[in-house]
Amino acid sequence: MELTAVTDERQANARVVESCQQGDREAFRLLFETHKDKVYSIALYFFGGDAVLASDITQQVFLKLFTRITQFRHESEFTTWLYRLTTNTCIDEQRRRRRFSPFDEAAAGTTTARAASVPAAEARFMRLEIADSVRDAIATLKPKLRIAILLKYFEELSYEEIAQVLNCSKGTVASRLNRGHRILAQRLGHLRANVLSGD
Amino acid sequence: MFGQQHVSKQLTPYAHGELSAEESARVAAHLGACGRCRKEFEEISYGIRLAESLQTHAAPASIWDNIEAALTQEAFKQNQAERAKHEGARENNVRGGWLAGWRSGRHGDSFGGWRGGSLSGWRPALAASFVLLLILGAGGVWFYLRQTRTSWEVARLAGAPSIDADRMGSRGRLGVGEWLETDANSRAQIKVADIGQVEIDPQTRIRLVETGLTEHRLELARGRMHAVIFAPPRLFFVDTPSAVAADLGCAYTLEVDDKGRSLLHVTSGWVAFETKERESMVPAGAACWTQPGTGPGTPFFEDASEAFLNALSQFDFAQGGTHALYTVLNEARTRDTLTLWHLLARVEGEERVRVYERLAALAPPPASVTREGIMLLDPAMLYDWKAEMEPTWLTESMPDMRRVWRSLWE
Repeated sequence: MELTAVTDERQANARVVESCQQGDREAFRLLFETHKDKVYSIALYFFGGDAVLASDITQQVFLKLFTRITQFRHESEFTTWLYRLTTNTCIDEQRRRRRFSPFDEAAAGTTTARAASVPAAEARFMRLEIADSVRDAIATLKPKLRIAILLKYFEELSYEEIAQVLNCSKGTVASRLNRGHRILAQRLGHLRANVLSGD
Repeated sequence: MFGQQHVSKQLTPYAHGELSAEESARVAAHLGACGRCRKEFEEISYGIRLAESLQTHAAPASIWDNIEAALTQEAFKQNQAERAKHEGARENNVRGGWLAGWRSGRHGDSFGGWRGGSLSGWRPALAASFVLLLILGAGGVWFYLRQTRTSWEVARLAGAPSIDADRMGSRGRLGVGEWLETDANSRAQIKVADIGQVEIDPQTRIRLVETGLTEHRLELARGRMHAVIFAPPRLFFVDTPSAVAADLGCAYTLEVDDKGRSLLHVTSGWVAFETKERESMVPAGAACWTQPGTGPGTPFFEDASEAFLNALSQFDFAQGGTHALYTVLNEARTRDTLTLWHLLARVEGEERVRVYERLAALAPPPASVTREGIMLLDPAMLYDWKAEMEPTWLTESMPDMRRVWRSLWE
């Protein structure tokens, strides 16, 4: 049953993409509406919560997608293609911005200090603080680790799919996720009790 | 756990269910027996727990509006190219023409079939044809203006430049937001709308940020470009990581190194090298460095003495302080009043007095300029004095001393 649903979704995706390749405006809109939030969220977390930059990245991704969609040959999953575009756009922008304000250890220190200063307040505020802390901690990961985490948890992609997006092996994906998880756990170790008590 | 390999590398795939049943069983068995790996697994599980707390955020609705506007522009470009093709134009740089129906679709054309209707369903009368011709004529002009506002023509000069990672042919178009890159063996030339051209050297990465009737803007991320612009002042800009070069009607070379530092070398006319906080006016024969976090340094003529250039570099970027400043003043020639005039606003107190005195000795101020006014940085007086000195700055064909300046940085 689940397999049928996946197949149906793929076929539907393929039909929408074909319509886009014919210049169907409504298909473009449908494709955008289907994927925009995930692309935006990846960009938002990749750039530490910068909403303006995330909007700009999302726009760039879909413009590239739409203007190149005739090049898509259905030889791979459409989503693989989309998230490869998203990844490359984020990393290109990151490289460009590195000259201005590199993510560095100081940034990581700030995150930890800020999170550590959070008082034991109400649970709602604590959840918000935890979410902010996780976002900030993710922004301090190296880009390769960061994008692997974002693809895994926003797209729920398998290791095989992430490997295709990032053009690397499944072993490399596992290694990057492993390191990413460890760093998150270490940097936000002081929140462990709050996170685990929030079940 | 002698005799058994630890399973650190398998812990995340194990938690994600990415291992085979056999591998999972092996990891589970190991975790039951190995305290070290069990502790690591607890840490990994906590990291996973944190990552799982990420939440999807809704993208702002305005993004679609921007995309739609950009696609409409793209459709216009393709329509125009199609028209040019039919009219026997020499070349057609369209990448497929698939969007040609985008805008026509919105107006009820048959393309894509999403709104039905067809232009073939009615035949215009003679009067209507005349009106239509007028509209098409106006549309053609509009298409032309639109195209010049959305992309620039690029010609390959050598090697294999790429536009947005796609290797270009002998000619291509650089759209707003797209990157033009050259490798070690390639060069390219960009036609800047209808106001000039820019040549791109090897190992350069440059992006078209904006092009329109009131502003054309490139971003030079790294490498070197040579610009020749014939346009009113402040129509053409180049962003670098540390300053913006604003064209004032000129020719110049601009380069950005791997650390984001820039060197501007003006060969004709004037260029303003600026940030929000600071501006350097650089005439032909002069140059100016910028550095991230500092902005544009003080402009200088490249034929100044090495001691002058060295001290100026120290003053601008290495906290050389009073000692470096006084060396600059002592080494300054009449022509170096360009540098001294800029320094007036970059020092205070006694240092400003010293700069004023040296400047006055080299180029006596006109009657409209007083010492008190300059001490207060009176804009009108600064302008008058600059105008008085400009003839001594505007000698062209100075030798290229860039290598001397570069050696000071290395």
